[in-house]
Amino acid sequence: MDALVKSNFIGKEEHAGVEKRSWLFTRPTAKTGIVSWLTTVDHKRVGLLYGISSLFFFLVGGFEAILIRLQLAVPNNTLLTAQQYNEMFTMHGTTMIFLAVMPLSAAFFNYIMPLQIGARDVAFPRLNGFAFWVFLVGAIILNVGWFVKSGAPDVGWFGYAPLTSTAYSSQFAGDMSTDLWVMGLQVLGVSSIIGSLNFIVTIINLRAPGMTMMRLPVFTWMTLFTAFLIILSFPAITIALVELMMDRSFGTSFFEVSGGGLPILWQHLFWVFGHPEVYILILPAMGIISEILPTFSRKPLFGYPIVVFSGAAIGFLGFGVWSHHMFTTGMGTVATAAFAVATMAIAVPTGVKIFNWIGTLWGGHLMMRTPMMFALGFVWLFMFGGFSGIMHSAAPADAQQQDSYFVVAHFHYVLIGGSIFALLAGIHYWFPLIFGRTVSEFWGKLSFWVIFVGFNVTFFPMHFLGLNGMPRRTFTYDGNMGWNNANMWATVGALILAVGICIYFAVMVYTYFKGQKSSRDPWDGRTLEWSIPNPPPEYNFAVTPTVHARDAFWYEKNNKEEIAREKAAKAKIDEAHGGVHMPSQSWFPIITASGILIGGLFFTNHIMLGAIAGGVVVFFGAWMWALEGPGGYHVHPNESDDDSSQGHGPKH
Amino acid sequence: MSSSASFRHSIRRGLSALFAASIPLYTGGWIGGHQSTFDAKGPVAASQLDLFYVTLWVTGIIFVLVAAVLAYATLKFKARNEADEHAEPPPQGHGNPLVELGLIGASVVALVFIAVPTLEAIWYTYDVPDDRRDQTYEVTAVGYQWWFKFEYPNEQIDGAGPLVTANELVIPAGRPVRVNLRTIDVIHSFWVPKLAGKVDMIPNRGNHLWLQADEPGYFWGQCAEFCGQSHAVMRFRVIALNEADFAAWTANQKKDARAVETTASADAAPRAQFAGFRVNEAGWSPEFDANPLDNWVQKQFPEKSENPALIAEGRRLFVEKACAGCHNIRGHEGVGITGPDLTHMGSRTTIAAGLLENTTRNLYRWISEPHHVKPGNKMWVGGYTDRETGNRILELTSEDVSALVAYLESLK
Amino acid sequence: MSSHAGAGTIDHHHDPSTTTGIPNKKLFMWAFLASDCMFFGTLISTHLIYRLHPPAGSPDPRDFFSIELTSFSTFILLMSSLLMALAVNAIQKGNVKSTRKMLLGTIIFGLIFLACQVYEFSHFVHAYELTLSSSLFGSTFYTLTGTHGVHVAIGVLWLVLMYIRSFKPTVANTNRPWVLVSLAHLAVWVASVVLGMYVMLELTHAVLDGKVGAFFGANFLPLAGFLAAIGILFAFGRDRGEVEFGEANAIDVESMGLYWHFVDIVWIVIFPVVYLLEYVFLS
Repeated sequence: MDALVKSNFIGKEEHAGVEKRSWLFTRPTAKTGIVSWLTTVDHKRVGLLYGISSLFFFLVGGFEAILIRLQLAVPNNTLLTAQQYNEMFTMHGTTMIFLAVMPLSAAFFNYIMPLQIGARDVAFPRLNGFAFWVFLVGAIILNVGWFVKSGAPDVGWFGYAPLTSTAYSSQFAGDMSTDLWVMGLQVLGVSSIIGSLNFIVTIINLRAPGMTMMRLPVFTWMTLFTAFLIILSFPAITIALVELMMDRSFGTSFFEVSGGGLPILWQHLFWVFGHPEVYILILPAMGIISEILPTFSRKPLFGYPIVVFSGAAIGFLGFGVWSHHMFTTGMGTVATAAFAVATMAIAVPTGVKIFNWIGTLWGGHLMMRTPMMFALGFVWLFMFGGFSGIMHSAAPADAQQQDSYFVVAHFHYVLIGGSIFALLAGIHYWFPLIFGRTVSEFWGKLSFWVIFVGFNVTFFPMHFLGLNGMPRRTFTYDGNMGWNNANMWATVGALILAVGICIYFAVMVYTYFKGQKSSRDPWDGRTLEWSIPNPPPEYNFAVTPTVHARDAFWYEKNNKEEIAREKAAKAKIDEAHGGVHMPSQSWFPIITASGILIGGLFFTNHIMLGAIAGGVVVFFGAWMWALEGPGGYHVHPNESDDDSSQGHGPKH
Repeated sequence: MSSSASFRHSIRRGLSALFAASIPLYTGGWIGGHQSTFDAKGPVAASQLDLFYVTLWVTGIIFVLVAAVLAYATLKFKARNEADEHAEPPPQGHGNPLVELGLIGASVVALVFIAVPTLEAIWYTYDVPDDRRDQTYEVTAVGYQWWFKFEYPNEQIDGAGPLVTANELVIPAGRPVRVNLRTIDVIHSFWVPKLAGKVDMIPNRGNHLWLQADEPGYFWGQCAEFCGQSHAVMRFRVIALNEADFAAWTANQKKDARAVETTASADAAPRAQFAGFRVNEAGWSPEFDANPLDNWVQKQFPEKSENPALIAEGRRLFVEKACAGCHNIRGHEGVGITGPDLTHMGSRTTIAAGLLENTTRNLYRWISEPHHVKPGNKMWVGGYTDRETGNRILELTSEDVSALVAYLESLK
Repeated sequence: MSSHAGAGTIDHHHDPSTTTGIPNKKLFMWAFLASDCMFFGTLISTHLIYRLHPPAGSPDPRDFFSIELTSFSTFILLMSSLLMALAVNAIQKGNVKSTRKMLLGTIIFGLIFLACQVYEFSHFVHAYELTLSSSLFGSTFYTLTGTHGVHVAIGVLWLVLMYIRSFKPTVANTNRPWVLVSLAHLAVWVASVVLGMYVMLELTHAVLDGKVGAFFGANFLPLAGFLAAIGILFAFGRDRGEVEFGEANAIDVESMGLYWHFVDIVWIVIFPVVYLLEYVFLS
């Protein structure tokens, strides 16, 4: 079993620690302080880095949203100029999708997934750190526009050509806001693809003994599907962005109308990415919900195989429905009909999940704790958003809804009511595991109700705004259009929502410092992450678990003697192999990523020498990375840490 | 029953009564408006609305059923207290394939109820039905940042090509109208919610839509695809007229711009003077909205109070201040084509692409502060100011503006 | 231990440390190649869409395509894959010297392919004024084949780095500053490739123009530099005792081989789609 702890094929790193090394390859060993975070390869720390930065950007995006809603509170408002408003909604969308929801999902992938499959880290720990630093680089490039003369990107989050061409997107000579947008998204794409490749290899190759694919926790399944969606869909947008970048910088005419370019091609390439992206945002959420509902219902997920296969079906069909974002582009009857029917078809596997979640509740003992409240809130709101999604599939009706506030309402129901509610549920759910402290039920539930009410007051009226003909992305409207009431309600709701979010995070911050210490396995969990102490030790599992059933930890709790015997035997084997093998920390992921930051910023400023310098840093970092090797050392977990005496039921 | 319980009970009853009372708020108060899709005035919009109601009913029924089960399960199986939570876990069942298959089948059937009318409507709304093709009236709409140009290929003018107007599309009522959709810069989208759903105007691509106004009427429309800085204020109107009115309108539009003869000097003329405009000020009035079509008709006739001397000065300034370089005024000096055609501008009910009601004050404001009305517009960027440096290159005194206003208002 | 395990001590088809038995690096590379398929799929789609909807005034590529040259470079690339496979085979048997030879062969064939592409591009630019911005055909053609060329170039760089790495001394044998040596080694490689490409292109032009005599006079310095660089490479390539590189690195070479074969296969798609199709459907 010792083989399982090694992330590398050949055991060369067994002697790596004793080798005499040049100062260049001296591995950082700090376990606390800033260096330990900059050089970390621990999947849990990388997860926390993702989590903290994505929550920061979530608040930034939320602030942008509040400004948008304040501008629209009353007709003919002048809080923001047209230009500022356009920057605001472009960055709100881009930030929430790429810098908040995706990395927050990635935070859970990083932190939770390896624990769920009984692994001690991801397959490529240094690459995992690199993916995070590259993400941060992309986030910086996207947001740097706020602080320079150019201003932030203002072309909308899907940047339809030819609005992105230099002829239309530049207010003045040297305006590089769109270049920043292009570069930022490309860098984020690189980060996402690298991270996803790592998750794919980890899930397929680093499962604990006995953890067959059909025993994987559903969250891990959804991680796998999401990772596949990312590696197969991001290339389309990356190439589209490369083509756009060449149009802007090197005079090609991929999307330049004057050179014969077809702007409609951008839409196709964008949505070939963009629709799978929607599922990239929602599948992790579905995974989280599929963990929380069984735990708090105290029974297994209803119809596990069908939930898994419907996830696969959604991922697969997700590549065949992209043109439903383009029903109004005059595709012709046959194409429109085909995409309309395909879109209806995708509603079936989505609906199946909702049925299965209700089936999970049925006959359970529902513990109405805060994570459960958020999870149930998710089911309600996602269902609602799903139904307005079905309405969009009726293409002629969609001709009235497309690009109106009805669409805005729809996708906020699935992305806030769906993704964000699930992620907030996940934070509550795993908080005791990650930080070892329990969040106050009163304040947790209060934040839930304020968020739930605020959300609905904000977005429910938007359905009416859209059907009453208010187009999205408009910085102003007239008072005679019948939109005043709904807009005012939406703004009031947004403020309530903001208060709810503030309560939520204030409670989290308070709990982190002052919260009540949590017992082990506070929710009577079913999956392996609850079998370890909280907060988890660096090596995760003192003894690699052996999995006997789908809800692996539930089985362990019900078969304690068998498990104890197994663990004792395995611990001996581990010790005979020198203990638990851990990967060494490294400076090179962050050095390599910094090269991308240097190169990216210089390139957007059209300083090619600087861009090349960045490339040299990237090359140097990667070469040193290869030469230093994975490295590694051994630890000897204290057996008493892994005392797995557990009782059923939550303890407080 | 304790008093506190009955108190909670009455609170709960009050809340549910309040909810019942709020329903008209949703159905009555929030439905309607100038661009409401609930108020279809033609067969295309009606078919789209009908389809919307089909989807609303099907999803609504499913929602009620699923939500009822979800709510029941939540309430019924909720742990009532701590002891309940710690009780022996329920049977660890893993699901029921028959239930699953049944629900999948039911979902498919429900979707068929949506799919069939969807397919019908896709073909119906795509183009004018064959049996009505011979009655079809054709126009071409061209999107610009940020206004619409309308061309009438059926209304040819000797030596000047087809009739061209801007921002107010006048169509015959009761007949199918096929609108060819073009753009010269970025993507726009043509949307008159009461007549038809939107179709995009895409560069290097020929799109079209069809619509029909069953009765004469006045309709609000708006660009529905983000097209840059002033996308929000790229609006237009559609005016549907009966056959006779429409014929009269086209006949008048085909004429050259109206000329007002005078020899008098404008020095002593009374000039409209306005000041104190606010940025992004509203440009509509309840009086106009009360009866828009009649107000449109009123606009077709010359103002009684017009001042020929002032108009002549405005006509001179129109050339002197280089307005003529971008705007065409057929029969007068304007020759430009990059801005909206102003030949009969005085007969339109709106200015600045459907944004402001065509009043003296609004026109004065639009000419003197175009950037405060429509940020980034080309009249300001490149016209009044230098495109590269942003320096002001065109100055207008208030006297100039009032003369220009008088001139433009005279173009009926 | 690491370096000189005897041949056949490692099972190269099953990795006991992973759940599936597939080495992590190999699985990673497969997943990456799936992703890379989509990159090329998007580029090829873009090219084909604009060949189906060419704007007015598009050039006819048959005027300047040289099927003979491209067939030759296609053949060379295919043969490089054979050498790559032999390199993998050699390292799996622990034969470092043979591995180095095969890697060198793959590198040279890859460079010949790249040289053909550089020649083709410069020919198109100078003789036919086809540039990135001259027409949409130029935009899509250069971007697609250029992206493939960048993949080949990255592959060559990787091969060179692997070759250099094969000289990394063992712990016991480490009395030289290895990092500096490797960087110097790499610098000489880059110099020889750049000079070599330049010299070969000049020579080709000279031969085509019938001015071979003038070539030597005009290009004395680059030619001398190139030959000197080759000489230094030979010096670097001498055996200097025990190295770390060995059978244990077979997975590294094999992953690189997967990448190389993939890039080769992509070209097998691009050649008919971009070049041959012009003659089939449009003639």
